[in-house]
Amino acid sequence: MDAMKDFDPTKNHPMVGVPLDKLKPKPVRKRLDLTLWEKVYVPEVLRGLGITTKHFASNMLGFIVPPKGKKRKVFTVYYPEEQVVLPAAYRGRPVLVMKPDGTEKCVACGLCEKICPANAISIVAAERGEAERYPESYILDMSRCVYCGYCEEVCPKEAIVMSSEYQGLAERERSQLLYSKERLLRSEESVRGRIEYIRRIYSKCNY
Amino acid sequence: MVADLIESLAKIIFIFTINLGFFAPVLGWVERKQSAVMQDRIGANRADIFGFTVIGLFHSLADAIKVLTKEDFIPAGANKFFHTIAPFISLVPAIAAFSVVPFGGKYTIFGHEVHLVIADLDVGILFVFALASLATFGVVLGGWASRSNWSLLGGLRASAQMLSYEVAMGLTIIGIVMVFGSLKLTEIGAMQENFFRWGIFLQPVGFILFLTCAIAENKRVPFDIPEAESELVAGYFTEYSGLKFVMFWMGEFLEIVTISAILTTLFFGAWHLPFVTDAMLLGFFQFAGPNGAAILAMLVNIVTFFGKVVFFIWLQMSIRWTLPRFRYDQIMRLCWKMILPLSLVNILVTGLVLLLWTR
Repeated sequence: MDAMKDFDPTKNHPMVGVPLDKLKPKPVRKRLDLTLWEKVYVPEVLRGLGITTKHFASNMLGFIVPPKGKKRKVFTVYYPEEQVVLPAAYRGRPVLVMKPDGTEKCVACGLCEKICPANAISIVAAERGEAERYPESYILDMSRCVYCGYCEEVCPKEAIVMSSEYQGLAERERSQLLYSKERLLRSEESVRGRIEYIRRIYSKCNY
Repeated sequence: MVADLIESLAKIIFIFTINLGFFAPVLGWVERKQSAVMQDRIGANRADIFGFTVIGLFHSLADAIKVLTKEDFIPAGANKFFHTIAPFISLVPAIAAFSVVPFGGKYTIFGHEVHLVIADLDVGILFVFALASLATFGVVLGGWASRSNWSLLGGLRASAQMLSYEVAMGLTIIGIVMVFGSLKLTEIGAMQENFFRWGIFLQPVGFILFLTCAIAENKRVPFDIPEAESELVAGYFTEYSGLKFVMFWMGEFLEIVTISAILTTLFFGAWHLPFVTDAMLLGFFQFAGPNGAAILAMLVNIVTFFGKVVFFIWLQMSIRWTLPRFRYDQIMRLCWKMILPLSLVNILVTGLVLLLWTR
C-alpha cells in the first residue's frame, strides 16, 4: 500500500517505443530466393557485422560520454527508480472516484456488480439524507478482477474508473485482496486524464 | 638450469593467471555487456558491493559464489566415471593449446636467453590441432555419459560437426604453412616482422575460412547446433551443474582466447606492431640499459599480442551476437561443399604462386 501512495506517474520521464510519426513501412522483398551476392554470404555477414558494430560504437560512445539533453537511445527502464509514463488508455487497478467533500460519487446502482464478468464487486446500498443512495460497503475482490474495464464503461456516474496504478497489488494474505471502499477511494484530480479519456471513447453523451 | 626452470615457471604462471584469472571471468561479463550494448540494452548491472556496481563486473563474482555452492548432481543411471571426467577433457586442451603460442620474441636478460613461449615445439600448429581434437572427446563423452536424450543428441551433433570441421580447419591452414615454410609458431611469428608480410595479406581467403572453421570448432553461434538452447535445453551439458558446468563454460571461453591467439599468431603479425621491428624496439628503449631495454621491449610485445587477442575476442563476440544459428544440414553443406573445396583451391593457388614466384 505504501508503494501505491508514493506512486506519482508525472515525475518519471522515459517514453517507450517508437513515436507514431516515425513509424514508416519498409519495403518487403517478396522474392525469397537469394541472389548470387547473398549466396556468397561473406559480404552479407560483413554487412550484418557493420550494423551491429554501428550500434555497438554509438552506444559505447553514449555510455562513455552521455549526450546532454538528448533522448537516450537505450529503451531499458531502471524499474524501481524510474517508471514509464503510462498512456490514458492503460487499464490499471479500478478505483472509486471521490467527490471534493470526501464522499464517493458512487450511487450504488449495482450496474458494475451486474456487469462484472468475474463477480469481483459486491455492493451493499444504503440511503442518507434526502433519499441519496450510497454504497454502505463496496468490496472489490482483486484476486478475481480481470481488469476488463466493463465496470467503468457501464458506470453512469463516472464513479469507478481504471487508474494507472499497478504497484502494490500483491499481498501475502488473500483476505488483504478484498479492497474495501476506503482503500479504493481516489481524488478526482488523480484520475482526471482517464475520465476525459473514457468520455471520449465511450461517448456517454450520445445515449 | 635453475634460470631455465624459473623462466618456464614464470611463463606458465603468467599464462594460467591471464587465462583463468583474467579472461575466463571477464569474458562472462564481456559477453553479457557487449551483447547488451549491441542490442541497445543496458545489461547486467544490479550486483553490488556497498553500493558499487562497477558496471556489472560483480556479476562474475556472484556467479562464482553461486556455482561453488551448488549441488554437484549426477543423474541416476549415468556413467559416473565418464560423466565426471568429461568436463576435464574439454577444459584442459583449451588451456594446454596456449603452451605453444608465442606471445613475444627472443630477448637476452642478464646473459640468459628468454623466449616468450612455454614450449617451442617443432610441430607447433599440429599440436594445437591435436588438442582441439581431444576437446571433441570431452563433449561427446559428456553427452553420452549423462544418460539424457538431450545430452545424447547434443553429443551426436557435436561429434559430427567437430570431426567435419577439423578436416576443413587443417586444410585451411596449409596455405599459411606453405607461405612461411614452417610449422613452428615462433618462426611464423618472427617472419611477420614486416607489416606487408602479415598472414592476412598473404592469405586473405585462408583467414576467412580458418575463422569460420575455428568458430565452428568452438561450437558457438552460428554453429551452436550441439547446444542449441531452443531445441536441446543445453545440449551436451544439460545434465551438468555446479563446478562441472562451469568447466564446460570456461572451456568455451578459453577456446575463444586460444582461437584469437592462433589467429593473431598466424594472420596478424603475432607480437609485432606494424612497421616496428624487435631491433627498433630495443633501440628505442636503449636509455634503460641493455637489460631494462629487453624487459621493456618484452612488455610491449606482450601488450601488443594481448591487445590483438582482445580485438579478435571482440570480433568473435560480435559474430556471435550478429548471426542466427545455422540449420544442421546447412552446417554440413557449408563444411563439405564450400569450405573444403575452397581451401583446396586456396592451396592450389598458393602453390602455383609460390612456384612461379620463387623460380
